[in-house]
Amino acid sequence: MNAVSVTATIAPGRRQLVNVRRELLLTAKMRVVWLLVLFAVIAATALFRIALLGVLQPASSSQSMHDALLPPRGDIVDRNGIPLARAFPAYSLWFNPKAMGDGGSPLVRSPAEVAAALVHIFPDEDLAKLTARLASGEAGYLKRRILPEEANRVHALGEPALESPFENERLYPQGSMAAHVLGFVAADGHGRVGMEQVFDKQLTDPVARAVPSVLSLDTRVQGALEEELYRGMRDSQAKGAAGIVLDVDTGEVLALASLPGFDPNLINNAGAANIFNRMSNQVYELGSVMKPITVAAAIDGGVVTNLAQRYPAGAPLKIGGFEIHDDENFGPSLNVPEALVHSSNIVLAQVGDRLGGHALRQTMTSLGFNERPYIELPARGMPLWPRSQDGGEWSRITTMTVSFGHGIAISPLHLACAYAALVNGGVWRPATLLKVDPGHIPAGRRVFRAATSARMRQLLRMIVADGTGRKANAAGFRVGGKTGSAEKPGAHGYQKRSLITTFAAAFPMDHPRYVVLVTLDEPQGTTATSGQRTAAWNAAPVVGRVIPRIGPTLGIMPDETRDIDISDISPLVGNGNGG
Amino acid sequence: MNFNRDRVRSIGWMFVLMVCLGLTLVLMVRVNAMKSQVRLAERQLVALKREKVFLETEFETRSNQQQLRALNDVEFGYSAPTAGQYLSGERQLASLGKAAAPDAPAPIRVASAMADNSGPFPAMVSPLSGKAMAAEPDGKPSNRKPVDTASLSRRLSRIPAQEVIRE
Repeated sequence: MNAVSVTATIAPGRRQLVNVRRELLLTAKMRVVWLLVLFAVIAATALFRIALLGVLQPASSSQSMHDALLPPRGDIVDRNGIPLARAFPAYSLWFNPKAMGDGGSPLVRSPAEVAAALVHIFPDEDLAKLTARLASGEAGYLKRRILPEEANRVHALGEPALESPFENERLYPQGSMAAHVLGFVAADGHGRVGMEQVFDKQLTDPVARAVPSVLSLDTRVQGALEEELYRGMRDSQAKGAAGIVLDVDTGEVLALASLPGFDPNLINNAGAANIFNRMSNQVYELGSVMKPITVAAAIDGGVVTNLAQRYPAGAPLKIGGFEIHDDENFGPSLNVPEALVHSSNIVLAQVGDRLGGHALRQTMTSLGFNERPYIELPARGMPLWPRSQDGGEWSRITTMTVSFGHGIAISPLHLACAYAALVNGGVWRPATLLKVDPGHIPAGRRVFRAATSARMRQLLRMIVADGTGRKANAAGFRVGGKTGSAEKPGAHGYQKRSLITTFAAAFPMDHPRYVVLVTLDEPQGTTATSGQRTAAWNAAPVVGRVIPRIGPTLGIMPDETRDIDISDISPLVGNGNGG
Repeated sequence: MNFNRDRVRSIGWMFVLMVCLGLTLVLMVRVNAMKSQVRLAERQLVALKREKVFLETEFETRSNQQQLRALNDVEFGYSAPTAGQYLSGERQLASLGKAAAPDAPAPIRVASAMADNSGPFPAMVSPLSGKAMAAEPDGKPSNRKPVDTASLSRRLSRIPAQEVIRE
């Protein structure tokens, strides 16, 4: 009661003050409560989130490890797993003048200063060109494929206009090696020219691209072949060269080269001119290298039953207005081994004539000379197959010219496959750039009898041991082969000074494993080739240098104590005078 | 508070349930922590594998056939071995150790310089001052015995202790 009386005595103004204070206190308390509630909600949310993260699955990662490691385009490897083409994430240097976004100068510093700094990072760049490029203000690549440390150094320049986007490039670690087999990847992401084009589907397929595509090539063999081919081309100042190493039993191509080559890492105008493949796409009249095929067909067909039988060779052979010559007169008569050793057109024309157009044509058809070569490459040349007469057969003169390798133009690849059939027991198999599983060797088709093939091995060995192929006789490797120097046809008939020289060889002749074929386009007589321009002086030495390099790599050790037995035919080769 | 038998039982069940729930929660948290660790390890693996491919590619590019050829041309000049450098088999290898036949040509002996009998080496002379940079070795003949078969075999059989341990 006292309190009431006291309150009643308080002046009205003071009472009002107390009310205000109470209201203020209430508001402050309410605010504190609200703040507490807010903190509580935040804490609860955080706890809930932590519980959620701990109890439930964290956000599933967008891709599995397999997906992360899947290359954007599959690798291509050689038969031993050495990468030949690989998807390679690389930085490039892109100039983006709009990066600043203020419409002013694209660069912080002057173009000359930036260019000088860039040249400091990339010493092979041209300062003046780079300055002009930066000053022009046009967007574009300044450089493709820069190293990560270079990208870091560019970033450190502090120029927003210099961007280094991460791009998936195609890298060919071996440079220009096997460029014609591999091809390249164009800007649209699809392969061109070689196996890049052939494998395009499986290299881009999400499932198949995880596994590298295996080629039959052997990098070491390819390197040796290219190097020696290049040396032979340089020594003889030839326009071009082509070479192949082929497994005679499976048809696998261990090396295939066409020079001059190109670098698939950098396709420019100079490189684009060399994309043409001389091995599979260009057809040539290969000349004398075809002679062993005619002889094999004649032995197979029962026309040549006695190798000692002599054929007149002293004078040019006149057939219906044409004359068939030899390079030199080897004597009044020659037998078949002598004709091969001396490469006599006159005798081979007679052998072909006796064999007849039908049989010769059939042999060449079974060797695939009338169709494009069998290989996976898209660049395959159509042979120039001699025209038939009304009855579908070749004329007599055609048969005779074809029998010594003229009047028919085939690619060197055709010839390599034919030589494989000639020495492997007589079975023709298509050439392939895919590694062949030992259990899945193609059956092929029989062209020659096994006995004929054995005889041909002796004859080919004799040509290298005693004939025109002596410069290919690598000691201990039992090389056998045949030279061929054909004149190129021009506007006014055959050109005496433009030759196609070929050496087709196989080794080791006691059990042939590989065919090595080398072709040079328009070799010149130089000091290195003793002033000669025929195959014996330029193509044969290349083979003679390639075989000792690749033989041990391929498991063929040189052995001078072993050789194919040619004692039964070597007495047949005399001095050319019928002796 | 009236705790009859049923009520105690249900509280007990609740307690067991709570404990189980708690344990499950702990287990789930641990499992997910482990999963996160696995995922992190996977990411590291991917990064390392990518780096490996990068380094391998760099190595393949730097050591490609053309580079090796250039290196061989400049530095080594190795060429393919010739037929004479190969052995056809164990028999030929064994024949190398055979005593020479009575009428066989004498093996070629290669002369070797006897370092012990030669005079003192000239000391290293500074190319600038022309003064000797080290003391000239004394001209006294060393007390090393000339190598003969017995001393050589003795020396070869004396294997240092640390080498034995290392192997």
